[in-house]
Amino acid sequence: MSGPRLDLDPDSAARDLVGLVLTLVELVRQLMERQAVRRIDQGGLTAEQEERLGVTLMHLDRAMDELCTRHGLRREDLNLDLGPLGPLLADRDW
Amino acid sequence: MTAAQQLPALAAPATGTTVTCVFAILGGDGPAAPAAGPEGGHEGGGALRLLPLAARLRALVQDVPAADFTEDALRRRLADPARLEVCARAHHAVVTAAAAGGPVVPLPLATLFTDDRRAVAALDARRQQFLAALELVTGRAEWALKVSAGRPEASAAPAAGHPSPVPAGGQGAAYLARVRGQERDRTARQEAALRAARHAHDTAAAFAVSSVRRRPHGTEVTGRDRHQVLNAAYLVDDARAAELASAVRALAGTYRDLGLHVELSGPWVPYSFTGQTAGEGE
Repeated sequence: MSGPRLDLDPDSAARDLVGLVLTLVELVRQLMERQAVRRIDQGGLTAEQEERLGVTLMHLDRAMDELCTRHGLRREDLNLDLGPLGPLLADRDW
Repeated sequence: MTAAQQLPALAAPATGTTVTCVFAILGGDGPAAPAAGPEGGHEGGGALRLLPLAARLRALVQDVPAADFTEDALRRRLADPARLEVCARAHHAVVTAAAAGGPVVPLPLATLFTDDRRAVAALDARRQQFLAALELVTGRAEWALKVSAGRPEASAAPAAGHPSPVPAGGQGAAYLARVRGQERDRTARQEAALRAARHAHDTAAAFAVSSVRRRPHGTEVTGRDRHQVLNAAYLVDDARAAELASAVRALAGTYRDLGLHVELSGPWVPYSFTGQTAGEGE
């Protein structure tokens, strides 16, 4: 079966590369977000720290939206099929 | 792939020669001629015919042009989704027509032998497997059950906010609370869907003599807005098929509230339950 492949046409290659980079950034962002929620649930943070963390993550989330828009990608396009391991990013749409 | 193992001598066939393509093994009690008539089968091939084997088994075969079925030609064809589909549909149509006349053991797509003599020798060597598989599927059919979850309703989407207690902080804390609420909703929804899938499987399996759960299809098959949580097949006595159907209908009603879609299809030729015995060589 021919899945999505890296096309070597210069324009689409650049777009695929941007998609790949953004996917990895999104992975890190999601991990940070989950870690933040876990820390808060453990009660280890002051209200002020929580607030700062929340604002930072919110800005990161917006920045991802802007980057995606600029490169003509949708947030749900950011993923990598790892074959038998499933997708790199957990499917948040179901 | 079986084809590759069985075709080492066919790298450069003379034009006009044919090889024997085997579709399925039939028991001794079925009709004496191919159920579909001589038509059908792979493009460019000869008439479908029945090849007698030991133990009163018969093989449903077709002579196909050797040049179209060399290892190279096959690899190219099976790598091209459109041509693979034509090939698979032809195979499936022949097997399905044959199954209408009695139990069959379908063989993998493009099971090829250089001639009838070799086909008979190789198939006879596996007759115990074929007999066991035929016995297993006689009077039974395969049913497929798929359960999928739809996209969450718009009301569950982030913008709607979440009634979890918003900390008295500013927008940062509010954002985190929203993230946490969404995460919790999503996990709860997914766990409910997976529980339902397990329950659906157990329900269906109770009517079956055998069952297999496969890895659910990805969104390239189901479409973006559906997420498959169960993809399973059941070998069911023909007499119990109606009970299975009504049990699944009842389930579908229960699960509709959860946004789950339940789909039962069949009867199918029991591809999933003749493989372990028929697909492997010694």
